[in-house]
Amino acid sequence: MTVFHFFNCAILTFGPHAVYYSATPLSEYDTLGTSIKAAVVYLGTTLVKLVCLATFLKVSESDSFDPYQELLKALIGFIDVAGLYFALTQLTHRNISQNHKFQAVGLGWAFADSVLHRLAPLWVGARGLEFTWDYILQGLEANANLVLSISLAALGSLMWLRKNKPKTLIPIIYTCAGIVATMPSITSYLRRGLGWQLPKVVGFELFTSLVMAFISWQLFAACQRPSS
Amino acid sequence: MGSSERKSAGVLEPTMYTASMMAMVVLIVLAACADLCNGVTVVDVYRLVQYDLAGVPFGSRFASLNHHAASSLFSSGAGSGSGSGGGNSAAAADLSRTVLILPLRELNLALIREYIGQRKILGGLLLLLPSIFNPKNVDNTGEADHTPAEDVSRDILVELEQLLIHANIPYPVYFAFEHDDINAVLVDVKRNDVTGQPATATTGGYKLVVAAPEPRKIGSPAITNIQGWLPGLKADADSNQLPTIAIVASYDTFGAAPALSVGSDSNGSGVVALLEIARLFSILYSNPRTRGRYNLLFGLTSGGPYNYNGTYKWLRSFDQRLRESIDYAICLNSIGSSGDKLWVHVSKPPENAYIKQIFEGISSVAEELGLEVGLKHKKINISNPRVAWEHEQFSRIRVTAATLSELSVAPELLESTGGLSDNRHFVNEASVVRSVKLVAESLARHIYNQDGKNINVFADDSSLAVNPSYIRSWLNLLSTTPRVAPFLTKNDPLIMALKKELTEHTVEVNVQHEVLDGLFTFYDSTSSQLHIYQVASVTFDLLLLLVLGSYLIILFSFLVVTTRGLDDLISIFRRPPSRKVKTA
Repeated sequence: MTVFHFFNCAILTFGPHAVYYSATPLSEYDTLGTSIKAAVVYLGTTLVKLVCLATFLKVSESDSFDPYQELLKALIGFIDVAGLYFALTQLTHRNISQNHKFQAVGLGWAFADSVLHRLAPLWVGARGLEFTWDYILQGLEANANLVLSISLAALGSLMWLRKNKPKTLIPIIYTCAGIVATMPSITSYLRRGLGWQLPKVVGFELFTSLVMAFISWQLFAACQRPSS
Repeated sequence: MGSSERKSAGVLEPTMYTASMMAMVVLIVLAACADLCNGVTVVDVYRLVQYDLAGVPFGSRFASLNHHAASSLFSSGAGSGSGSGGGNSAAAADLSRTVLILPLRELNLALIREYIGQRKILGGLLLLLPSIFNPKNVDNTGEADHTPAEDVSRDILVELEQLLIHANIPYPVYFAFEHDDINAVLVDVKRNDVTGQPATATTGGYKLVVAAPEPRKIGSPAITNIQGWLPGLKADADSNQLPTIAIVASYDTFGAAPALSVGSDSNGSGVVALLEIARLFSILYSNPRTRGRYNLLFGLTSGGPYNYNGTYKWLRSFDQRLRESIDYAICLNSIGSSGDKLWVHVSKPPENAYIKQIFEGISSVAEELGLEVGLKHKKINISNPRVAWEHEQFSRIRVTAATLSELSVAPELLESTGGLSDNRHFVNEASVVRSVKLVAESLARHIYNQDGKNINVFADDSSLAVNPSYIRSWLNLLSTTPRVAPFLTKNDPLIMALKKELTEHTVEVNVQHEVLDGLFTFYDSTSSQLHIYQVASVTFDLLLLLVLGSYLIILFSFLVVTTRGLDDLISIFRRPPSRKVKTA
């Protein structure tokens, strides 16, 4: 039974990535290499983040919310953005359109994140005897994270790769990118600062990820128009 | 320059990544393990004793448990003959893979007796005791505080304990105490039972898991006797040895759950009384003017439940002179419950001069204390290995001895040995104080040749008054310490504490380690932890799979439609495009 449950949770956690890849034109243009590169960059970024966290953060005994520490954590979280910048601009990609590039990078990014943060707990936990909703919620969280990663990659590609974008939209793009980049800190604040339960947090994440995806889509479309 | 840098970075990268991966995985696994423990209810459980008596197995023969929970023996009319379940007895439920959770409050003893008697198989049995029977649940009121309802459940528990001890049960039996977590589980389990479906993997429910290793035999169980010696004052020219009075109490216990056998009354009360008597006489004997012309010998013996095997060993270790010098011995056994009647048990006929003297000494003091004391004579049958009272071991080596006890009849083997139902709540501190006064006063009158006179050596408010707080603290300590001899090591903290206490009150303390002989073999694994998992059913998993599958399909369709158009989606399924869709 428990292997069955593990299987279910794994489908929920990793299925959308595969579906995204196969359903969108990404698979047609064979952008797997780009995704893998992005995933590798994610691993490197995570290592740097870990080193920074270990260097600058105190280990808190209590599970309480310490604003200063959280601020530091949020700042360190911006290393992600740097990693994404690297993945989008510095890596040599096969000659694929910007449109597909950011999707491939976002997908690789989110998949690496899911594998690193969710696979091991799933393997250890979901096969245990005790039934909890945690792993299903965690799978939903992975879905939200996929959407957020792609949104962030889209905004990043707007910021760094597109040269002629409407001046009026630039501040909006930067604000949105900032919001998306600070999402981990926001959820951490909700969970520990406000003491939200996991279902509520996951619901919030899903909702905001969809909203942010919609906004970045609109922004992307708006930037697309003048160039075309 | 840039290209060379990139190259070197490329060489470095794989090792860095693997290192980071390793670190991450370790971190994640640790975090996951920490998370895992949250969802599970963990309960302390205490296993039914497992022992062999002359090679015949008794008690719970297994320790590990991994089955679904149910709350009723006959939830599915398991052919019980209970009358109500007669209708569908054909559908006798197979309970061999089910753990029954039975609260003591609702226990039907007759059904249990029948079930165990017929040796029907269960997956396991978890008995929930009211929290009053938890030895850790001790308050310092000093009064025996229990309601009539608790008295009733105590009687049931006594009977249940005897039933379980003397049965060979081929499945694990555990005791646990009621508390909120487990009660919530029980309510859920009962609700499931009411719907009529047996708890199996297909309907979900709770799984009870005790991960315990196979119980192992305890090789050569040790028993430890502690004796304290308080020498009397010898007259200068007297070459004769002084007579000796022995005060003896056995301190170990036996019960259905060894980890819960604290025996506050049997025989914690006797031990406490002995310590207090030793303390009182040590005050008297510390001053040469009040030092009596009797030696006092205090003995804390082990092996009490097993025909007073420790007492036997202890007496055999005496040398001839000491044995002959013993004037008489008083054994203290179960003197702490709040009754007004005590019994002096002897094995010589009451007409015997020594017995008469002891009994008259005690009963005259008892009268002053408002206690009633009766004399009971029980002959010893030498050929019978059963030793019901501690004094019988003395009588067998021809030493005059008596047992003071509140029990009116001799207990059977492994009966009244400080089991589950015998704890602090049912022991009255005032009774122990009174018993101490009774014994100490009668001893003092005998020692100082004041027999029959109405003097009060240990009067209240004097420096020699019985100290209730001393009694309370020792009673509380003993009431929280399980003392089943085979599970006590030679240097157990309790034995060390008793030895230290006797050292303070007596001049010479000896500790005797012996091996429990006789026909008993014990097995370990007396307590462990029960994990209660809430498990999902297969139907739930199937449903979830269905939902997830449709979610992914919808997601796929949505993505194809938004990024490539509806036509592509339709072409994927290789259906000829219908006109309707095209126009739409």
